[in-house]
Order: sequence, then structure tokens, then C-alpha cells
Amino acid sequence: MNDPHRDVGAPTFTASHDPACDDAGLLGRIGQGDEDAMASFYREHGRVVFAQVLLVVGERVLAEEIVQDTMLAVWRGADSFRGESSVRSWVIAIARRQTRDRLRGRRLRMVDDAFLADQPGSGPGPEATALDRAELAEVTGAIRELAAAHREVLGLAFGSGLSLPEVAGVLEIPVGTVKTRLTAARTALNRILNEKGQNR
Amino acid sequence: MNADPADTRYPHLDLGDLIAGAAGQPVGDRAREHLAACEHCQLEANRWNLVADGVRGLAAAAPETAQPARPRRTRQRVLAGPWRRAMLVAGSAAAALVLLVGVGAVTGLVRVHLSGPSTETALAAVTGCTQVEQADGTLEQVNGSSLVITTASGQPVTVTTTATTFVSMSGPLLSDITDGASVMVRGNSSDGTIKAAIITVGQPFSAVNPPGFVPVQGTVSDASTAGFTLVTSSGTRVPVTTSGGTLVVVPHASPGQLQAGATIVAVGHAGPDGTLSAQAVAAVSQLPSGPHIRESVKVKDCSPSSIEEALGAISAAPVSAG
Repeated sequence: MNDPHRDVGAPTFTASHDPACDDAGLLGRIGQGDEDAMASFYREHGRVVFAQVLLVVGERVLAEEIVQDTMLAVWRGADSFRGESSVRSWVIAIARRQTRDRLRGRRLRMVDDAFLADQPGSGPGPEATALDRAELAEVTGAIRELAAAHREVLGLAFGSGLSLPEVAGVLEIPVGTVKTRLTAARTALNRILNEKGQNR
Repeated sequence: MNADPADTRYPHLDLGDLIAGAAGQPVGDRAREHLAACEHCQLEANRWNLVADGVRGLAAAAPETAQPARPRRTRQRVLAGPWRRAMLVAGSAAAALVLLVGVGAVTGLVRVHLSGPSTETALAAVTGCTQVEQADGTLEQVNGSSLVITTASGQPVTVTTTATTFVSMSGPLLSDITDGASVMVRGNSSDGTIKAAIITVGQPFSAVNPPGFVPVQGTVSDASTAGFTLVTSSGTRVPVTTSGGTLVVVPHASPGQLQAGATIVAVGHAGPDGTLSAQAVAAVSQLPSGPHIRESVKVKDCSPSSIEEALGAISAAPVSAG
């Protein structure tokens, strides 16, 4: 029978196919100039990529342009996919590079590693109680106020259907660093919620 | 886990387990057992779940369709056509809640004989498994565990089910959304409220997973004709609105729940008396109007799980692409 845990969170897209195989097949067809395959690829990945990019850049128009560039890169470079990662993490990694290039052009930094390295380690910390009291709408609002790097890692871990190793691959950092970054993001989220709570 | 649960020096879940759990990815049995017994880890899990819910809420609130401008670089002009087409297709697909169900073309027909006079009818072969066949048509009546359907050619076919037959149904079945029901909601979020596009009732089912919507799981509370409150595992209460366009999927239904007039797709073994002994049945109440809708079933292999997933996907997909 069916594993009740399969459907919780990470999207799968087809019932009768291995999505990974389908994705790889789609890329093969895209590499041969198949327009329908490109359309299918967009249907399957476009919205998740767009949501992730929008989470990082916070501007719809810019996010749309980045997704456009990403999909153009897929169209042009489908042959470069070597199957060493999932197609989802591959395309998100492309989108991340496109995002980084765009933000660099705006003289903004998407990831400040020095800042991230200074963040506290594991454990809930004193602000955890703010998260314990928070409503979902408050959390959603607070996430918008996080630094881009924190929004990025949260989006990858919880919004893109990627596993921790895949998130690490996209970010080109060790899994342990992903965990550290996630914890730092949550701590920052707690802090924002705590400040909002004190101001109420 | 950090260590054996019995080891009191490192009694708590590893951060990776907590994150995987919040992300909806599988965690080990030992981790689940520990979580069930450890208040500290439950609290941590609830915090991560709330963070994950917040991220998913933002993702769900993202506009349905990105509509970027045409490619800017002149050297890429050749790409504008396919790209524009991809966007158009994607846009209409999102609007129509098209699901990628992986159905293929009908690869052949298998003639079987029914019991009555002039009762030859056609059952379709099932791509991926030659051991089973497919019948589809409109549900006329339910007799206990048997379904009587009318095929496109007007032939009645009896589909028998057993306790092990996988029966799924879908449609505007908002009456199935009742207080206490465990559901998975997918839709767009605005100001903390989810406008439900598709709701899965009961046990989660991987086949029900349209691209673009991030699932939020919980229990129904305060159900009304306009919506309900979704209570997540972390105790978060999320307002959910429903409408006539909300697709409700019950992946594990019983024959008695099926409604006359629904389009039925059944896969099983054809008996000598013309009946189809079904391994799986999908009942869809929202297929586009028309004289007949044929769903060609494609499975990975002949395993029950493959057949169930293929039929579950059909039940979850009002396959009209608009």
C-alpha cells in the first residue's frame, strides 16, 4: 500500500513515471530542440523556481526576469546536465547563479558568508519563545524581513522539495553548514518575532 | 538521531531529522518513535514545522504564473518562439490546474466477450502491464461492491470490487470535508488564508500533487460551505476557503461513496462472464463534458502500487487541459 509519508511536503509530479527519469528525458528532448519538452519542463519546475527566486529577491518583475534567464539557460544548456544531481536541484542551482549575477549587477550581495558565520549554532536560544507564541501569518511576515541568504536557505529546505544534501549541492557548501545556516535563519526569525512582540 | 534513544547523554533528535520532518521528507522509525515520546523534540519539531509552514505559505502566495518579458538578447531570437509558447502553455496549465499524470496513448485494444447477446465490447490494454485491462465509462449504478458502467459504445460492463480494490474518487465533493477529517490542502495563500485549489481527504497520496502548489497538511475544524480552519501538526490554525472550483480528492474511498454519472476508469482482470474484476478504480466527477472520455492508463509495472498510483492520478486530475 501507499506510504503515508511520501506526500508530505516534497512534490512529486507523476504517478506512473519516475520523475527523475522523466526530467532527464525532458532535458534530452530539450537538447534536441523539442519545444513541447521545454513547455513541459516549465510546467514542472517553473513555479517552484519562481517562488524560490521571488523569496530571495523580493521583487516580482526581477524574479520573472531571472526565471526567464534560467529557462533560457536550460534551453541552451540542457545537454550539460550529467545526471549527477536531481533535475530540480540542477535548475534551482542555475536560477541561483542567475540571481547572484543580477544582484551583483545591482551591487547587492545575496550571501554574506562572514555574516552567516557569526550566527549562533544549534539550540532554540532565548528568543525561541517568540516562535512558540507566533501565528503562521506572523511567521510568514517575519520571513519576508529576513536577510536574503536566510530566506534562500529556508526556501530551498522547505519550499523547493530538495533534501538537505541537495540544498548543500545548490549552495555549494557542506550539509553541516546548511544546518548551521538554517539554525541561524531560525534564530534571526525568532529575533524578528520577538521584536515585533515587544512592540505590540 | 544523535544516538540510541536509550542513551540519556544524547537523547534528542538530530537537526537533520527535525528539518527533514518539517520538509515532509521521510525520517527513520527510530526518530519517529523518539519524537512520539520526547516533549523537547516535539517542541523543536513544532518550531521547525511552523517555519516550514511559513515558507510554504510564501511559496503558495507567489503569483500562479510568471510571465516574463520576451527574451531580450537578439542573438536568442530563435528562442523566443519556444519560450513564449512554454510560458503560454504553462500559464493556461496553471489556470486549469492541469496535473502531469503521465498518461500515455492507447497502445491497443483487447476484445473480450460479455455474457449477453451481442455483448462484445472493447477493453483497452494497459500500457506497462499486459496482465490487466482497462474499462472506462459512465457509472450507472452501484450494487453493493459491483459497479455498472456504460462504455462509450453504450455497452454495460460490470466492474466488481473487493476489500482490497483501490477505489479513489474526485470532484466537487465539499461535503466530504468535515470536522476532524485529515486533509492535505493545496492552493494559493493570501494574508494567511489559503484559497484551496485541491484538497486530499484522508491518507496522503503521492499521485495527488499538482505542480505549483505546496501542500499543507492538517485537520479540519469549523467546516462550513465557505471553507474551514486547517489545524496543522504544530497547532497552527490556517483559514482555508473553498469554492465550487475546489477539487476534492478521496484517494481511499469505498464503492458506496461513488456517485452515479461519474466517469469511471477501472483496471483489473477480465473474467469469462464479461465482468472486470478490478484492482483499482478511479471515479472522476469533473471530466470535461462530451460523449466519452477515454483515459489510457499507463503503469510502471504490474504491481498493485503502480496500478493504484496510476488510477489515483487520474482521479486527481480533471484531465481537461482547458
